[in-house]
Amino acid sequence: MSLITTRREALRSVGCGFGLLAASALAQRNASGSSKSNPLAAKQPLFPPRAKRVIFIFMQGGPSQVDTFDYKPMLEQLDGENQAFDDARVLAKTKEIKQHRVFQSPWKFKQYGDCGQPVSELFPHIAKHVDDLCFLKGMHTDGVAHGPATLFMHTGSINLVRPSVGSWVLYGLGSENENLPGFITLQPSMGNGGPRNFNNAFLPAVYQGTAVGRAGTSAKDARIRNLRNDTLSPSEQLRQLEALRSLNAVQAANRPGDREFEAVINSYELAWRMQNSVPDILNLADEPDHVQKMYGIGQKATDDFGRQCLMARRLCEAGVRYIQVNYSDNGNNPRWDQHSNLEKHADHAMATDQPVAGLLADLKQRGLLEDTLVWWGGEFGRTPYAQSNGTGRDHNPYGFTIFLAGGGVKRGFSHGTTDEFGHHAIEGKVHMHDWHATLLHLLGLDHEELTFMHDGRPFRLTDVYGDVVTEILA
Amino acid sequence: MIVHGSCRFRFDHSSSGRRGSDGFAFARRIVWVMLLIGFAICSPVISSLAFAEESRERSLELFEKHVRPTLVEHCVRCHGPKKQKGGLRLDIREGWEEGGDSGPAVVAGDPESLLLQVIRYDDLSLEMPPKGKLPDATIAAFEQWVVSGAADPRESSMDSSDLPTSDAVKPPTLEEGREFWAFQPVVQPALPDTGESWAVKDLDRFVFARLQEHGLTPNPDAERIVLLRRLYFDLIGLPPTTEQVDAFLNDPSENAYEDLVDRLLSSQHFGERWGRHWLDVVRFAESSGGGRTLLFPNAWRYRDYVIDSFFQDVPYDQFLRQQIAGDLLPTDDWEQKARNLTATAFLLLGPINYEMQDKDILEMDIVDEQLDTIGKAMMGMTIGCARCHDHKFDPIPAADYYAMAGIFKSTQSVIHSNVSKWNMMDLPLAPSEAENFEEQSTKLARLEGELKSAKQAFAEVGGSLDGSSIQSKSLPADRLDGIVMDDVDAERIGDWVQSTSIGVFVGRHYIHDAEQGRGAKRVIYRPVIDAAGRYRVFVSYTASNNRATNTQVQVRHVDGQESVRVNQRNRPSIDGLLEPIGEFQFEQGPAEIVISNDGASGGVVIADAIVLLPVTDAEETDGQASSLVRSESDASDEAQASKVLRDRLRSEIKELETKIKGLKKRLPKRAAVMATKDAASPKDIHIAIRGQTHQLGDLVPRGMMQVASWDSLPPIPTAESGRRQFAEWISSPQHPLTSRVMANRVWYWLMGRGIVSSVDNFGSMGQSPTHPLLLDHLASKFVERGWSIKALIREIVLSRTYRMTSAATPESVAVDPENQLFWRSDRKRLRAEDIRDSLLFVSGDLDTRYGGSNIRPGTKIEYGYRFTSKRRSVYMPVFRNTLPEIFEVFDFADPNTQAGSRGASAVASQALWMMNHPMMMEQSEKAATRLLGQSLVSDEDRVRHAYMQVVSRPPTERELDVAISLVTSSSDGSTDISSDVAVSRYAMLYRVLFQCLDFRYLN
Repeated sequence: MSLITTRREALRSVGCGFGLLAASALAQRNASGSSKSNPLAAKQPLFPPRAKRVIFIFMQGGPSQVDTFDYKPMLEQLDGENQAFDDARVLAKTKEIKQHRVFQSPWKFKQYGDCGQPVSELFPHIAKHVDDLCFLKGMHTDGVAHGPATLFMHTGSINLVRPSVGSWVLYGLGSENENLPGFITLQPSMGNGGPRNFNNAFLPAVYQGTAVGRAGTSAKDARIRNLRNDTLSPSEQLRQLEALRSLNAVQAANRPGDREFEAVINSYELAWRMQNSVPDILNLADEPDHVQKMYGIGQKATDDFGRQCLMARRLCEAGVRYIQVNYSDNGNNPRWDQHSNLEKHADHAMATDQPVAGLLADLKQRGLLEDTLVWWGGEFGRTPYAQSNGTGRDHNPYGFTIFLAGGGVKRGFSHGTTDEFGHHAIEGKVHMHDWHATLLHLLGLDHEELTFMHDGRPFRLTDVYGDVVTEILA
Repeated sequence: MIVHGSCRFRFDHSSSGRRGSDGFAFARRIVWVMLLIGFAICSPVISSLAFAEESRERSLELFEKHVRPTLVEHCVRCHGPKKQKGGLRLDIREGWEEGGDSGPAVVAGDPESLLLQVIRYDDLSLEMPPKGKLPDATIAAFEQWVVSGAADPRESSMDSSDLPTSDAVKPPTLEEGREFWAFQPVVQPALPDTGESWAVKDLDRFVFARLQEHGLTPNPDAERIVLLRRLYFDLIGLPPTTEQVDAFLNDPSENAYEDLVDRLLSSQHFGERWGRHWLDVVRFAESSGGGRTLLFPNAWRYRDYVIDSFFQDVPYDQFLRQQIAGDLLPTDDWEQKARNLTATAFLLLGPINYEMQDKDILEMDIVDEQLDTIGKAMMGMTIGCARCHDHKFDPIPAADYYAMAGIFKSTQSVIHSNVSKWNMMDLPLAPSEAENFEEQSTKLARLEGELKSAKQAFAEVGGSLDGSSIQSKSLPADRLDGIVMDDVDAERIGDWVQSTSIGVFVGRHYIHDAEQGRGAKRVIYRPVIDAAGRYRVFVSYTASNNRATNTQVQVRHVDGQESVRVNQRNRPSIDGLLEPIGEFQFEQGPAEIVISNDGASGGVVIADAIVLLPVTDAEETDGQASSLVRSESDASDEAQASKVLRDRLRSEIKELETKIKGLKKRLPKRAAVMATKDAASPKDIHIAIRGQTHQLGDLVPRGMMQVASWDSLPPIPTAESGRRQFAEWISSPQHPLTSRVMANRVWYWLMGRGIVSSVDNFGSMGQSPTHPLLLDHLASKFVERGWSIKALIREIVLSRTYRMTSAATPESVAVDPENQLFWRSDRKRLRAEDIRDSLLFVSGDLDTRYGGSNIRPGTKIEYGYRFTSKRRSVYMPVFRNTLPEIFEVFDFADPNTQAGSRGASAVASQALWMMNHPMMMEQSEKAATRLLGQSLVSDEDRVRHAYMQVVSRPPTERELDVAISLVTSSSDGSTDISSDVAVSRYAMLYRVLFQCLDFRYLN
């Protein structure tokens, strides 16, 4: 434990391999003295937190709850029969309730762990961790289409411009690492709202999410924009920086103590430190084979997402406050989106199951699960009946499942239920706003107090909604 | 009890419906004082004396045993002393008696009381408690409690002082509101007497007087070389060339500065720089944003209109009228008309979710976005707040909001379909073109008419343009063997609908019963039999899966009557057209075959033709005929004739098509723009309670914001939307906000901070003016000079206030560290556009074309757009989700929201862009190559030149040393300027210059 702490401490304050520079910058910061001038300085939460950071594993498109974790025997009993369902999309368009064909899951369920949580064949690896997980099976949200629902999950609004959850968290808590952005999203989608999903909106720009790579490109090549210079050698870059430092020193000399100039000068220093530390953190080569294997790296199906998950652990270890791992693409009909051919869910489960399980195991063995909150889920779920009597399922914002781990939530626990078909959340209902409120609560932030003045009034992540789900707090 | 819409008193937990656009995160306790009072008047009267004492006891027992504990456990947290979601509290009897937004929650004795409905989860959008349904037994107890009289002994809450009304912050009344400075009329203030002083312009006197009050001394005048760069960027957004620097520094004229100002003001680049300011204010973008963002391919016309309006110095009042009601402004000048129309795109450029399925909500969302933008952009008012409730801080009641919303609801902004679209209008043409256009379009219309009838005729004679086996959907009766009778020749009983949607059918069409009037519709065919004998009977129909599965066909024959059921979903077995019914004996004379919809089910009943085919000896042994359709060559003379006709029509069609194609090519292009028009039937609208479109309150007559209105406003004629009157009102010199808000914006753009620093918010939650008299001076002068923006700018940049140094004089910093009083010129940061344009300008790559579309042709969606244009930044496409990287990184105005001021962040991503972005690498190399190509003899000359280009000043000694050592090799101190090494060294110098503080700031 002490070894880990040391390593983490080392990563946070010194970064990798540029001790001198960082140290001098640190001295400078200490000299200039206060966190007032540094909006990213780590801040005290409002009350004792249960988690210090978040890893959000975004399963874009809407994984089906009734094919994964929300087992419904009724679907087997009534498979093929027509029943009246208030389909969200049909309802919005026609205001009518129509008949739909009950569609049983093609995958078998089994109970796992001491808690007896049912998990389908889709997730054999995750299934082994159910005693560490906390399921929210009564989730519901706003937005029937991907665009609105994805924005809603990230920002609490289906169309209005609002800061992303990660930006709020960074605004509330600051960063634990001076060399890295405090909010990183790995390979985000450019569709369905794109950058707005990790944008600071009206919060100051320092709280914006930093993208590493983008959906549709290989995790092997994932990097922060403009972090590398392919033209200049490291020594040339240093020469350039030193010349800049000299000129800036001359120009700033006319204005001693000018905070704005200082901030610009510091931005170059941070950029330089990032340039040196981020590639090391994202470089997985120094991870031992057995660790890489845990994440499924080296196997075709799991290599890409495994890399993302392992990067997430390394960023988490380095003290990045909010890390989002994206299983996504850039299309309007994203990956977990089987309107037809539900069987394809298996491909996506295959690609993510072992990497996610590997991440959970790795976080646990390193003690990181103690103060890291892991959130797995999509923007909504899927219908328990076939879409247009076909072979897939449509979107379902009325009821779906997410799971959590670590960071002060109950272990081996399940909260909330959907109706006998798995369509509507009926008990222990948790709206996305409620979940946002709870996430902030776990980090020691009160969602009603965490506000920002904009347009002449204070804004919140949860608007005027949200109740903390106290039932799941450990 | 009145219940509005589907969302009643509960609003906060809606599981699926639309949520309020923006609620307030605090002060929620200010709950609908007005509404509560309103409902109190009609509060329930437990009138019936029939509730016996016994019943009351039973009711009390139920209350204490079941109701009270449930309320405490599940309800009071949100409907109690602390929070009253939906305006409802359940911790005291009075709370449910009066109820919330939708009236009483419980009416004693009424089993349909609202509270019971919601706990029963009767209505999807209204389920309480939100986290899960109560046990059935508890619900039953509530029902019995209500029916038995709803006894509730709770007179007051534990915390009775905390009644919702007691500590409510009341919104200001109109009278109170008018007292607020921003709603006071603008009056030209007297000039402060500052004696023989520092002031050169009137406005300086206002500044100087305030400085004197605080014992402050204005900073000295900045040097020419500093002013030059300041002025270039402030007025045209580009650096001066080295020649321009030299010329200005060496201009001996006393009026050198003034001349420069006038020169810059008359440049088209001025329009580009200042047009962009306005584009910030009006959240200009070229896509709709949101999840599935739609491109606005014509938005560039509005952008160009704005740029040109600034360049032409269109009076600001006119500029506003055009944008709000350009389509309604009278003019005979076609160009003016085009500009007016284009200007209204202002109303349509917002971030809108056109995919929204509930179109009523979509329309109100658009109206709300328009009002919100107009409010903030033109009046500095957050009127959007009043969509859901009376404005909490400013004197804008919800009734005002809906009075104005009625105007915009009476305006056509959107065309609906699954994914709706903004309204488009044709631009007028030049008179010369218009005549030609008229002529050509008339001709075109005529040709298209001819084509249509030719095609129709062609189809009627069985022609097919694609040459399929049975050559079209329709088959002429004469192509069939046997006795044929089509539906047109049969007798019809009841309503039958003609259709041609599915082929193949006989003749021009088939008919169907529309699945209505079952049992009452028949089609009776009476074909004439020439020779008695056995005939095989067929019916034709077009199969499809919406057809009846058991259509009845009756045949009256010699031996009686036969009734057969036909499944019209199955494809007919002969030629896909005819289905055999059977063989029957017929006498000579008329036979009778009836298709009826009696007892039919599963879909529509089709009737087309019937066919009677004499049974020959050969066929009797053979059984079935395989085809009844004759090839065209076999056909009768009549058919031959129609073949000739078909051929003639075919070539006629071809010829017409060629003509039309040619004509369309020559037709003058008529551009369309995003623009509004008045709706067909303008009307007043209702207040939507809590902003919920389907929860209607009072009807409000269309009108203006009362607090900023005056008595002599013209009424809105019922047949008009009121937009014209709205535009007149907002652009009136009498309007207390319009001139102030714009004068303040211009001040902000030049001085770096507004006199009211919250430039979009002049309400009570905004900042107060630091110099109220100065603001009124500027505003009244602005109006006096015909709303000329250029005159206002000129006045400011010629002032001494503008021309001070930006140095941090310690004595002044001690008194006024934030420079609230303008004792110095605020240092400003270069904007994203300034940085990009400067890079291209210095490298020689800048394309300075004025106006025109700049989205790459063929672009369908913004995602993945590559921004490669070298034109000025104002022409770069502005997509709501996809901006050029440099815009994103350097605090470009977020087009998703109205924002008249920009952030000034200093973040690592900016530094990374400056150090490593390919554009920086490429442009610095180009600049280096260009520099090395010039006839400069020494490194020092070259460094000096680069300095002049980038920071518009010569280097200091120390800077020169640093720069020289950067560009010379460490070994011999010299460079071969033709080498790649030299280019890369100088490229590095340019990068360092673009990165340094003196480039990134205007001192």
